[in-house]
Amino acid sequence: MTSLHVDRLSVSANDQVLVAPFSFSLQAGQCLTLLGETGAGKSLLAQAIMGTLPAGLTAQGQITLDGEDLMALTLPRRRAIWGRRLILLPQEPWHALDPLMTAERQIQETYRHAAGHDTERAVRYARQDLVSLGLDTAGARLPGELSGGMAQRVAFAAARAAGGKMVIADEPTKGLDSARRDDVVAMLKQTLAEGGTLLTITHDVEVARQLGGRIMILRNGDCIEAGPADQVLQQPISEYGRRLVAAEPSRWAPRRQYSRPDAPPVIEATQLSKARGGRTLFSEISLSIAPGEIVGISGPSGCGKSTLGDLLLGLSRPDRGQVRRAPGVAARRFQKLYQDPPAAFAPHWTLDTLLKDLIRQHRLDATRIPPLMDRLGLANVLLDRYPSDVSGGELQRFALLRALLLDPVMLFADEPTSRLDPITQQETMALLIELARERECAVMLVSHDEALIRHSCDRCLSLGNAEPHRPVPSTASSLPA
Amino acid sequence: MTTFTLTPRWLARRPNARYMGLVLLVLLLLFAWLTPWLFPADPARQNLLHTLATPSLSEPLGTDHLGRSQLARLASAIRLSIGLALLSVLSAAIPGVLLGVAAGWRGDWLDRGLGLVADCVLAMPGLLLVFMLAAMAPGQFWSLYVGIALVLWVEYFRVVRAATRSLVTSPQLQASRLLGFGKVYLFRRHLWPELAPSVLTLAAFGAANAVLAVAALGFVSIGLRPPTAELGLMMTELLPYYQEAPWVLLQPIAAVFLLVLSFQLLAGRDPR
Amino acid sequence: MSQAIVRLLVSRLLQAGLVAWAVGTLTFLLTRALPGDMAYRIAAGRYGYENVDRDAAQAVASELNLDSHPLSAYAHWLGDLLQGKLGHSLVSGEPVWQELGHQLGHSLDLALTAVVLALLIGPPLGMLAGLRRGKALDKASLVAATGLRSLPPFVIGLLLIMLFSVTLGWLPAAGHGTAAHLWLPALSLALGLAAVSARVSRNAMARVASAPFYAFAMTKGLSPQRTFWRHGLRNVGVPVVAYLGVQLIYLIEGVVVVESLFAWPGIGHALVHALVARDVPMVQGTALAMGLLFVALNTLVDLACLAIDPRRRPA
Repeated sequence: MTSLHVDRLSVSANDQVLVAPFSFSLQAGQCLTLLGETGAGKSLLAQAIMGTLPAGLTAQGQITLDGEDLMALTLPRRRAIWGRRLILLPQEPWHALDPLMTAERQIQETYRHAAGHDTERAVRYARQDLVSLGLDTAGARLPGELSGGMAQRVAFAAARAAGGKMVIADEPTKGLDSARRDDVVAMLKQTLAEGGTLLTITHDVEVARQLGGRIMILRNGDCIEAGPADQVLQQPISEYGRRLVAAEPSRWAPRRQYSRPDAPPVIEATQLSKARGGRTLFSEISLSIAPGEIVGISGPSGCGKSTLGDLLLGLSRPDRGQVRRAPGVAARRFQKLYQDPPAAFAPHWTLDTLLKDLIRQHRLDATRIPPLMDRLGLANVLLDRYPSDVSGGELQRFALLRALLLDPVMLFADEPTSRLDPITQQETMALLIELARERECAVMLVSHDEALIRHSCDRCLSLGNAEPHRPVPSTASSLPA
Repeated sequence: MTTFTLTPRWLARRPNARYMGLVLLVLLLLFAWLTPWLFPADPARQNLLHTLATPSLSEPLGTDHLGRSQLARLASAIRLSIGLALLSVLSAAIPGVLLGVAAGWRGDWLDRGLGLVADCVLAMPGLLLVFMLAAMAPGQFWSLYVGIALVLWVEYFRVVRAATRSLVTSPQLQASRLLGFGKVYLFRRHLWPELAPSVLTLAAFGAANAVLAVAALGFVSIGLRPPTAELGLMMTELLPYYQEAPWVLLQPIAAVFLLVLSFQLLAGRDPR
Repeated sequence: MSQAIVRLLVSRLLQAGLVAWAVGTLTFLLTRALPGDMAYRIAAGRYGYENVDRDAAQAVASELNLDSHPLSAYAHWLGDLLQGKLGHSLVSGEPVWQELGHQLGHSLDLALTAVVLALLIGPPLGMLAGLRRGKALDKASLVAATGLRSLPPFVIGLLLIMLFSVTLGWLPAAGHGTAAHLWLPALSLALGLAAVSARVSRNAMARVASAPFYAFAMTKGLSPQRTFWRHGLRNVGVPVVAYLGVQLIYLIEGVVVVESLFAWPGIGHALVHALVARDVPMVQGTALAMGLLFVALNTLVDLACLAIDPRRRPA
């Protein structure tokens, strides 16, 4: 029987407490989800339980696995538990796999060297795993040749091959789109169905909802709220819990109807086609966008959503078809918001310098800045900082400020909130929509989150039927000779 | 977000290597340029009555096998090495950086053409090229300088081209372009701040290599001719007198070591 | 698999062509820069001094169009090079090919011994330092590597001579013939190579040891030793071997100067002699051999990279 008891566990660096004393207990077959925004110290908890905290960090408290006190064990004794009784699923599977070893051998070696089977059995079990995960042709491939979803499955199989029942999953859906996220959740539930015990750490409310079981909400290293999943997610008691749940796009307030069918379009595209690397991204796309209209663009990753934006903004040329902008509108009034806000700013200059550059370049009226900053909730002190020293949400609002100063008629927003935590995402989207409506600026909003698009856009354009992320080479020829 | 640094304590306590390199270089510069003022002596004047003299008040570093003042010769040789190094680094860095930016930005035929020229230079170890160029005009300062600069520019070109290539398609540059900024602005605000650290590192490594190349040429007697005071040449000349006067031979060795060390520390980076 | 090798060999072959062209052009320019009767010197280089008279020199002059046009003379020069006509040494009168044949073996002995020594010293120390970052060994190796990198190989050689042959009297300073003669020159080259590859290994080891896949290998149940052998060694090896390609420049440059210091009868020594004596055919031959040796060693490094890094073998 697998059981895990954590009693007043805390993590600290020197004298600074990073995770406040924290307790829970988990019986065999149960499922517990720790929910909280990035940087809430959740991952440190997982590392403390495993015994893999980085040098300089120490854990206090008690961790009991099947009645054995883990904190009392020496490091070699603790290592003996890894894989065999306690499993840590890796965060980013692509990075968790040795880039120089084939997928099959990475599963094999766990059977051979961690579970202690003989070579012949290890080979057989690894093959069985691959077949049951639908990866029978991928065994001879290197991690770099696997898609994200495939790498995730290989890592799961490799991690679990030594037979442990207590599974810790640390942000298992980081950076995945919704379809792949659901796959991962299904795999985790499979673990439960097979008699495993599951501790999941995530920032994604949807993952917590699908897993069920019990939930604990963490913030700044403290547990704020705990209880059964339906209860916590239906009627959170804490203020933070309520905001976190309300920030889910599917719970956003419904958008107001908006239409200006009579106005001439700000941009029109006819029969656009584009191929990249010999693969057609999309063909014969036609669209027309009215002033102030908010249009969602959805589709699986790699289907050419960002490329479409480049064509519309004039950053690259279509293979066929043409883009027509409203006559008499300056090119600089077509602007873009980026997925990763820090990447869109010159990193070596303060925000003030960059704003002043913009004012000087276009002889703008500098007095417009303070009210706009107020409106966007940006404090003046931020001006003296470098882009890397402000939060992602603030920087994205700065990007919005920068664009708005040029009186844009269209904003291409490429996943503008996907790197932000849920509450910041909600605030940023609300501001973006409000300002766009007010200024009759059309927005094209790229997102992989269907609910977000449904709740913020007037209509949605689906790009799709794209092939998988990577062309699949045949197995036989990828064997090293 | 909680941030904490995991820098090992010894690393934080270690004095900054670049700073040490700078201090060392300044000391060498002072030695090389102040010596003629404080101890005016002709580095070429022989005094066969006072050969291989031990250090004294009038000759703080002793004399060589022809009775020439080691202090004056050493200072003169260091001036020569540093001067040549800085000159060739400068004349390699400026075209290297400009061509690298041009090739990385424009791509296409310009990129391919310049890439081919760079490949030609890199097909052989640089010192072989410098050797052959130096042999064309033996003993001439300019042939050393041209040879070294010709070999050095390629490094700047390649590094800058690669960095420019990846920056040109980066969101930060694209964003500024959409905001209506011109090429000069993009270079000043985006490219140069990213390139400058690598260019400075390359410059320091380049200076170190130039010092080494000149010494190597002098050592095998292809470079500058006697009676010029040059570090490699001095080693060759003094080698036969090692047993009589080891301190004299060790002087140019120490000078090369300190010069190269100061530039290496200034570069401030491990290979890779 | 074979496709990757073919592509690699073709690009290295192109490089060899570039080397030949560059050496040919530079030596051609060298002939033009020489004082005295060029035709006479070249004729002597071809046929040996005893067979040269005014007529022979005249024949060469007209054959190579030496008097007429520099461009056609250049074409002839490269044409000869293409056919492998390297001529005779102006100093010894021996055919250049024959001289090179003797020297190449010596240079290879020296270069390969140095590389093997460097690989025995550098990477093991570097990896140990990388696994114990911040400990005494790491600090000591940083200081030693910084110091050694600031010394050119011939200065290391000088210091080794002072220490081992003059002061201690253990090893011979110059010459060749016995294994003892190989030690000092090989070590002069190996120390500098080892210092750099130790730092490269150290940084690679540190990077690998803190990589998520290294941690994952242990959390899935492998012991630290097994993790090192199965996931550490090869991942460290890839950058170390790849960097060896960069270090070949140091090696070849070092061979030239170190051979001169130790009077080691290899190609580098001969190149320096030829340059000093203005022996143009020998300059061309030895520079060509040095350049091609560089290309050949680079090809070996490429093949080694291909062998240990499966990512370079596209399916």
